[in-house]
Amino acid sequence: MRIVVVGLHAAGRNACVWLRRLLPDAEIVGVDPEASPPYARPLISYVLARELSAGQMTVEGPDFWDRLGVRLIPERAAALDPDRKVLTLASGRTEPYDRLLAATGSSPRPAGVGGPAAGDILYFRTRADLERILAACKPGKTAAVLGGGLVGFKLSMGLLAQGMRVELLVTSPQPLSLNVDDHVGSWAAARLARCDGLSLRTGVSVRTMERASGGGYRLLLDSGEELTVDLVAAGKGVLPAAGWLESSGLACAGGLAVDDRLRTAAPDVYAAGDTAVCRDLALDAPQLHAIWPMAVEQGRIAAWNMAGRDCPYPGALSMNAIPLFGRQMVSVGAVNPRLTGGCAGEVFEDRQGRYLKLVFDGTGGRLIGAVGLDAAPRLGELAWAVRRRLARTDIPAHWLRAPETAAPWAARTERLAQSARL
Amino acid sequence: MKSVIIRPERCVGCMQCMIRCAEAHSQSGVLALAVSESVLAKPRIHIGVGPELRPFPNKCRHCEPAPCQEACMPGAIRSDIAAGLKIVDLNRCIGCGMCGMVCPYFAIRYYPAAQAPGHGQVAIKCDGCFERVARGLEPACVEACVTGALTFGEVNQHMNEGVNRLADAAFGVTA
Repeated sequence: MRIVVVGLHAAGRNACVWLRRLLPDAEIVGVDPEASPPYARPLISYVLARELSAGQMTVEGPDFWDRLGVRLIPERAAALDPDRKVLTLASGRTEPYDRLLAATGSSPRPAGVGGPAAGDILYFRTRADLERILAACKPGKTAAVLGGGLVGFKLSMGLLAQGMRVELLVTSPQPLSLNVDDHVGSWAAARLARCDGLSLRTGVSVRTMERASGGGYRLLLDSGEELTVDLVAAGKGVLPAAGWLESSGLACAGGLAVDDRLRTAAPDVYAAGDTAVCRDLALDAPQLHAIWPMAVEQGRIAAWNMAGRDCPYPGALSMNAIPLFGRQMVSVGAVNPRLTGGCAGEVFEDRQGRYLKLVFDGTGGRLIGAVGLDAAPRLGELAWAVRRRLARTDIPAHWLRAPETAAPWAARTERLAQSARL
Repeated sequence: MKSVIIRPERCVGCMQCMIRCAEAHSQSGVLALAVSESVLAKPRIHIGVGPELRPFPNKCRHCEPAPCQEACMPGAIRSDIAAGLKIVDLNRCIGCGMCGMVCPYFAIRYYPAAQAPGHGQVAIKCDGCFERVARGLEPACVEACVTGALTFGEVNQHMNEGVNRLADAAFGVTA
């Protein structure tokens, strides 16, 4: 069997590892211009923040693909012909396949800025992006960061650590608005406002960008204000990198739709990671999940199905955890205030400021999300509870009374004790 | 292969396992000195409170395949340090929280650690006391447990004991 994996990062790399375990004799071909040596893309923000060295992004040795028995083609994919089962590469070469995994990930969403210098906006996704930003960093000068999501936040913190002043420009009324609830969002905004060297503007967008006469860039905001900065970086979300699938008729606008086995509409073509649109367990609707843990999980599930083992995938769940000003912010499922309007929330807060909010849907009381500060230890359990579609009534009363110290739901103390007494 | 076996019904919630675990992972390895170390060592085992205040010892299950290991971005959770154990390499851990997020048993917590570079916040979880075991000792939590809630032994042998208990129950013998 000849398996082609297109894209060798979180999803593709994990898929290769599992495919090799499940199919020791299969021929596995990996297609990715940026695969060797393997590195973890999210770590670029840690390098920018001087928390890791550039070498520490590399997570496997240069012989990783050889050891795994994956033939590496360091090229971009250009087109797919699912009827003939042939992949065309950027160089024009063709690769036939028996099964193919599309795991090309995503690319930064354009910042939507007009003007002659808009092409100079730096994005933040790959090792090459990091190198471009590091080369443009000038200590003491000012950088504008567009976007108040997790990437915008990480970019801001990184540029501060590089000695730059940061103008953080957020279109939403508050930063991190897609990832957290109002409480954590306003706490983050208050901390950002007190952050040395950073000025936060919310509810603004950049309309145009042009080169300033004395070097740097002049930004015209929709509020009418003008800003002169030396570097413009943007983290405005991502779009699936599915351009190579356009001619195949598989890609829809938001990515590649997959079923509950991560199969696409074409036979023997699977998708995983940021490219795949699968059911969101909290929202019960198809959605793109451009996050690391879902990508590795989908890579594993796709590999099992590609290897002929029937392995259902109930759906994905958004989840994020980042250190935020010395505290651990976590969120899982639907917590965005815009999506959880009619939902009931239950909040736990203690004197140390530890905060956990559970979100239950308005109709059945099903747990659909949770957000917390310094509540990380409960997050795995909450994610499992959302996945298992637990309702409020399924959550033990003792857990709701003291979520900090309660025994795990997964432990089911009573049943364990019963069977042990046998 | 030997592993720590937990019998929650025998736990009385004395928390000695937590104290001995923290002691074993402190810089000095001695309780009297560990309490005054600049970066306090933290336990890797925790006692949760269940229904009717029943205690429940909870620690890393060293899953295979381990969700935490798969989700770890810098490859800090390693299975090549000691057989059958998932161990956090504190030189690589960045404290991002991914592993805690996917751990179904919330066995991973985040604290500053004396052994981590710069004493930063890192993932703290059970390492099976692999260094103690290599020296022929039992894991610290097991050594501390006086009620038999935590034992260190061969899983298959434990299963045989379970079969004997089942036989007792079948013939109406109450233990």
